[in-house]
Amino acid sequence: MRPLSPVLASLANVFRIPITRAPVRPTLTNEILKSTSPRSFSTTSALSKRKEGYRGDRRILLIRYFLHHPLTPRPLRFSRTRFLRHWTIHRAWNLYQANQRRTHELELQRQWQSMQAACEELRTGAGDGGKLFRKSMIKTGVFRDLVPIEYARLQTEGPGREGWNHEWKRD
Amino acid sequence: MAASEPSRYLARSLPRALVPSSRHQALCWRRNASDQASSRSPSAAISDLESTSLSTSVSDDVVKSFKPIERARARKTQLPRSRYQFRSPKYDRGPLHPHRPPPPSDPSSRVFVPGPFSLPRVEQTWQSTVASDILTLLYVHNPPGFKPPPKAPRLRTWDESSPYHKNRPLRGPRGGDVLRLLRKPITFNNIPKIERITLHSYVKKAATENSSWLHVAGMALQAVSNVKVETFKSKTSVAQWHIAPGRDTVAVKAELRGENMQHFFGKLVDIVMPKLKDWQGVKGSSGDSSGNITFGLEPEEMALFPEIEVNYDMYPPKMIPGCHITIHTSAATDKDARLLLSAMGVPFYGKLVN
Repeated sequence: MRPLSPVLASLANVFRIPITRAPVRPTLTNEILKSTSPRSFSTTSALSKRKEGYRGDRRILLIRYFLHHPLTPRPLRFSRTRFLRHWTIHRAWNLYQANQRRTHELELQRQWQSMQAACEELRTGAGDGGKLFRKSMIKTGVFRDLVPIEYARLQTEGPGREGWNHEWKRD
Repeated sequence: MAASEPSRYLARSLPRALVPSSRHQALCWRRNASDQASSRSPSAAISDLESTSLSTSVSDDVVKSFKPIERARARKTQLPRSRYQFRSPKYDRGPLHPHRPPPPSDPSSRVFVPGPFSLPRVEQTWQSTVASDILTLLYVHNPPGFKPPPKAPRLRTWDESSPYHKNRPLRGPRGGDVLRLLRKPITFNNIPKIERITLHSYVKKAATENSSWLHVAGMALQAVSNVKVETFKSKTSVAQWHIAPGRDTVAVKAELRGENMQHFFGKLVDIVMPKLKDWQGVKGSSGDSSGNITFGLEPEEMALFPEIEVNYDMYPPKMIPGCHITIHTSAATDKDARLLLSAMGVPFYGKLVN
């Protein structure tokens, strides 16, 4: 049997038409008779009687929402030609980066080798018995003084001419 | 996306004859920022792009030899369809499995990360200045043909004074049981470099109060670092705070590598460190004697990061965490790491302990 629509059910209730289905809700009289609690009569439920529904901070609610949001992207799915195009660009980019890395390593190696050649020349060919060479190999202060903070700046597009504000005073 | 929803439902509810095709040019009112204004007029764009390929004439023998059907039949194995989409398997079931995921460098892999898409300032500075500076500062000249005298083994053998010395494991080094990392002379192929940065923050209130402290801390670290954080349970018991090992989740950690790390370090050095009040620098005794330097930021100093600063109202102010920043370098000793960091703009103060 089809359940009655709410409108029909209320009409049936008003006109006291007996319905074969048992009433879904317990009737009010039964409820009152059965209840033995000393609670005063109220139609408001205990939960909605509270002053505010959610007592937490709304910011935390938002943070939790975004923190647990699954943001993992799906893997790239391409058809054959698009995948080949993508793969080609990817390989080319990797190759380019590897070339750049290689160039940089070679440059460092070149610098090191020319330093070595210069030091060897200083040691043997300077004619002072290697005094300058020994002086140049002294490393005191390298690890103690470190790099001056004025020089330790990250590169920028337009670096300031001064680089350091010497007139600055703490207020 | 949300704006297009009602129109979709509308189009579905109306009879088909009334609704014009959504592919129609004139109805395409949405314009993305990525496409140019000229790409909306197809004829001009096509004539612009393909003028050469349309006008070129193909010779006759090429036309005659072009037999795609025969070529397709001659193939031993059929090519995948044009719509074929390779889906990498989710799990690697071992070398004997017939269907294995592609390597992570493959664009179809599930763990493929494209990029890097920028050349960070830190990387550029290291390559152009810092690397050759350190190489020069730490250069030690050995004449050609020089061989360093052999050193005693670091793990000592037992003198066979007692019969019980037989088959014992070797003795540890003098002055402690720790085998330090070996420092090789710095040459062009082992110049110290920043390898990774770890952000870690221990949130005590996450155990004593509720989890919102941990969530806010994780969100702040994520915002600063651009890396998903991991959470950790306590390993030690702290009786005053009622923290039991293995029960309370108290810490968040973010591990930065590559591009994220470079950008984070740049922000730290350029933006945050100059703004720290009464800050002398990183303490000279910091470091684990194998080239990793750690220092800490207070909560109010964490708020100086631009990602938190611009969006300061998003976080409950008392819940912004402090954090420990560990900079892992490829140097084997602390002094090399300190030299590298000082060349990159991190100040040190106090007695330098190695």
